Amino acid sequence: MSEIDKLRAELKALSSEYAKIKTLPPEERGGFGKEINIKKQEILAKLARAEEEAENIDVAPIDISAPCAPNETIPKVKRGTKHPLMVELSRVVDVYASMGFNVMESRQLDDEFHMFDSLNFTKGHPARDGYDTFRTSEGFIPPAHTSTMQHRALKKYKEDLENGGQIAVVIPGRVFRNEDADATHEHTFYQCEGVFVSKDATMGQMFGVLKHFFEAYYGQALRIKTQPGYFPFTEPSAELLIEKPESLGGKGGDWLEMLGCGMIHPNVLKMAGINPEVYHGFAWGGGIDRLAMLKYGLNDVRYFESGKLEFLEEF
Amino acid sequence: MKISLNEIKKYVNIPDSVTDKELIELIGARLVEVEEVIDLDKKYDGIYIAKVVQAEPIPETHLNLCRIDAGEAMPELRDEDGLIQVVCGAPNVHAGMLAVWITPGAIVPETYGNENFRLSVRKLRGYESFGMLAGADELGFDNEHKAIAEIDPKIAQAGDSFKEVFELDDTILDVENKSLTHRPDCFGLIGFAREVAGILGIRFEEPEVFTEVGGLECANNLKIRVNISNKELCPRYSCAVFELKNNTPSKFLTREAVFLAKAGMRSIDPMVDLTNVLMLKTGQPLHAFDYDKLVAVGGKSEAEIIVREAHEDEVLQLLDGKTIKCVPTDILITSNNAPVALAGAMGGKNTEIDASTKRVILESATFSLYNLRKTQMAHGIFSEAITRFTKGQPAAMTMPVLSEAIKLLKVEPLAIVDEYPGKAAEVKIELRVDDVNGLLGTHYDKQEIVRTLENVGFRVAENEDKLSVTAPKWRTDTHIREDIIEEVGRLLGYDNIELSLPMRKFIEPEIDAMVELKNELREILSNMLNMNELLTYSFISKKLIEKVGGKVENSYEIVNSISPELQCFRQQIVPSLLDKVRENTKAGFGEFSLYEMNQVTNREDGLSDEETPVLKTHLGVVELGNFYTLKAKVLAMLKELRVQVEYQAIGAEMTEQYPYLEPKRSAELIVEGRKIGAFGEIKKSVRNKFKLETVISAMEIELDKIIGVKREVEAKVKISKFPAVERDLTFTVASDMVFGRVLNVLESCMERQNLNTEITPVSIYQVEDSPTKNLSFHVKFSSPTQTLGADEISAIMESINVEMAQIGATIV
Repeated sequence: MSEIDKLRAELKALSSEYAKIKTLPPEERGGFGKEINIKKQEILAKLARAEEEAENIDVAPIDISAPCAPNETIPKVKRGTKHPLMVELSRVVDVYASMGFNVMESRQLDDEFHMFDSLNFTKGHPARDGYDTFRTSEGFIPPAHTSTMQHRALKKYKEDLENGGQIAVVIPGRVFRNEDADATHEHTFYQCEGVFVSKDATMGQMFGVLKHFFEAYYGQALRIKTQPGYFPFTEPSAELLIEKPESLGGKGGDWLEMLGCGMIHPNVLKMAGINPEVYHGFAWGGGIDRLAMLKYGLNDVRYFESGKLEFLEEF
Repeated sequence: MKISLNEIKKYVNIPDSVTDKELIELIGARLVEVEEVIDLDKKYDGIYIAKVVQAEPIPETHLNLCRIDAGEAMPELRDEDGLIQVVCGAPNVHAGMLAVWITPGAIVPETYGNENFRLSVRKLRGYESFGMLAGADELGFDNEHKAIAEIDPKIAQAGDSFKEVFELDDTILDVENKSLTHRPDCFGLIGFAREVAGILGIRFEEPEVFTEVGGLECANNLKIRVNISNKELCPRYSCAVFELKNNTPSKFLTREAVFLAKAGMRSIDPMVDLTNVLMLKTGQPLHAFDYDKLVAVGGKSEAEIIVREAHEDEVLQLLDGKTIKCVPTDILITSNNAPVALAGAMGGKNTEIDASTKRVILESATFSLYNLRKTQMAHGIFSEAITRFTKGQPAAMTMPVLSEAIKLLKVEPLAIVDEYPGKAAEVKIELRVDDVNGLLGTHYDKQEIVRTLENVGFRVAENEDKLSVTAPKWRTDTHIREDIIEEVGRLLGYDNIELSLPMRKFIEPEIDAMVELKNELREILSNMLNMNELLTYSFISKKLIEKVGGKVENSYEIVNSISPELQCFRQQIVPSLLDKVRENTKAGFGEFSLYEMNQVTNREDGLSDEETPVLKTHLGVVELGNFYTLKAKVLAMLKELRVQVEYQAIGAEMTEQYPYLEPKRSAELIVEGRKIGAFGEIKKSVRNKFKLETVISAMEIELDKIIGVKREVEAKVKISKFPAVERDLTFTVASDMVFGRVLNVLESCMERQNLNTEITPVSIYQVEDSPTKNLSFHVKFSSPTQTLGADEISAIMESINVEMAQIGATIV
């Protein structure tokens, strides 16, 4: 006898119980009726479950570890991929934008004026050599840092400043250094520049903004520290380090150099027509490749521009 | 640059409360990045001075069996006579000498930090050797392996700890030079120590050489003239002449040699060693000429030094034997115009000090850092001296350091000359306490600021909250208020600045339209159309441009490219993507479409208003498939972007622009009347050059032309409340009938009857060599005003029939 038949028989037997109600003294009838009702509901529920199970009974189990059933073709899921560097760059830009920073794009071919002169590099200054720039036969420069956009950013948003606002802009872009590629060096890489100018900008605000950025980016509280730096276009200048976040396997006490920063040199403001007696600013710039490498635990920066699907499909 | 912590401690009294570790951290946080900390104390552990008591040759070998007296060291190794047996192969080992003994169990310093080779008791030719007697090379001071080091009995005795005698119980900091580019004063130990004092809040006690102007009694018995052609090239040239005595290199390992070795320099002879030590301490390089040779080169009876720019192709043989051809930015020291030294870089062979030298000219000068930087690059000279000169040594220090050298050399100057045409006025900077706190975001009081500056040699005059700050003569980097603020902020620690956030208006940021468009496209191409985003280099080879039929001359050319592969700034994206196809198919990827969005430029596009090349952002797509596969994706992409696009057979302009496209199988894309790019199959001839066998298609569009266009597509299908009719229609047409024409006629026919219509192409069928083909469509239509009855439907069908007949198409 199947489970269903058994339950149905029970149900039938129960209905004969109803007939007994009349035979009972009136004060017991209510209690007895309720009891039978409960029993009936229980049986009905069991019956519903058993009937449902019976419907699925002839479905055969499968081997879930196999890619397909015997004699079928293996289904293929083709998926596209975004480049990990672009994903990281977007993430960085999104965090800054959510903090209120405007977003500009950096140029991939620029001139001596924007790359050096407008940034307070005096002519022939040895610091120019430190950037190992490429040059075209016309003397144009594939920029070695996104700071090449500072002058344009300052000029573009100067009006906001004059209208009582601030300049707050980040500038992501591709930059170039004339050095041989190895596991940790690429001649082509990505940076993100930041520029902030107001009447009361301070170095304390700069560190505050950057700490906030990294905390938002890594989604956790972080410690920061600094190390003095030298850039002709900032004074004072510093390098910012963050304590290696837990998400990157940091256990406390490991420090990562993340970016160079500083208070914008008065000459840089002046060149953009901003009065350094009235306004202060800070600027910073850091590499995106490094962020991506840290995030994905990559050990060779050359993968990024390799065009290898083997690599890209990992992301 | 290598900095000895022991040396720093000679100038600064470091409080006991500050451990070395803390000190190094403070230096890293407030002065310069410390790249490496080298523990010499460990490196020289287990090494002693020992006296060689006996040295007997071992027959038929080059070895000597030695017995040494190691004083109190390692008593357990002594034999019955209290001596220790060591086998030594050096030719200079002899009884009676003091040598350096590396004990069994100690690491050979040369290998420290690499293989850490630890000595043991070893049998050599049957004789036990307890450790070894070391040469300067094994001690890590020299590269030449020729002899064991001999120690002057005046400075040590048997049993002394080697590291104590030579101050090697030390810690060396290898600091990053780059962040000190503007701080020539820190390229001397004393200057570095001054900063350390400043960081610790201690007033630095200036050694005499920094407080005096330098000046020595001198009878000037000998005539020597100095002539500087241009004070920009050489702001100051000081020199002294004296007789050179007792300058033979010492046979002993000297303390100077070890001091130099700690900084990575080699010992030469007593005079050069002394001037190099002085350079490492003060930052001022010195150079010595043979006076008499110099006079002879000049061809006059007395010395006349002329400092001038080099002429093109002027030739000079340097001390290292190499002959260089000068570049016009080189500065030459000449004797009556005949070159005797490449200023700041290296002396000439013609005035070299040698055993016959009787009189010496010792030069202490400063040169244009810009010129010397070029000299360094042009001739590839990277000495400790030029490293300092290229930071711009302060002119104020040439004479004091020269005087110090004369004193230390214990010689009588025969002549002293000090040409100082480039003397600059003292820099005085005015600032207020508020300027400091306003820029840093701090609350330092006036006293703290003044004290911090004075600790490192600034003079500060106070007038209420105004400060007038005068930089010490050795600081060449302070010119403006911010320079002073930096000093205060840095010395007191940026890490002590309280963090805050700027107040901002509650307004949305302005995001560059190209950034947004690219993000949008990335979603569509990667996530919807399943393409793979690539990044390839902006620089490509001429060969690649030629392969796709492009014009090399339209690319900006990199003059200092890393390789021919990276010589041209690309004009387009697709060639770079094509270059990546074969590699990926070979790696087993069968079906893929690659895309990249990046900047390109074409010289023909000229310059912008700001005189920089016009840059464009292109989207390139390469599809492993034919025209139609790509077309479906291109149209889907543009539809998703909500851009109204038209396309037509590719014309001359686009064919020229994208020469890799097969014009018979390509279309150009038009948005708001402008051609934005093209797509189609890659020419077979181009494919062959990339060794690509199957059909490949590509698209390249200018994204700049999409920015700002109207971004909405009118919904063609209007929802009708009346039921729709669906019909499958097949038309037989001539085999050369253009598909689009049939579709157009069908569409306009339906439109004219005011029907909501959705037409989906179903198939194109043609029997091989047949003069006709069948085009099938699925047509769904409804009326906006009524339910279509059988009569209305047949009328519609009939009108289709009639209109199609006019173009020669018959309904099957």
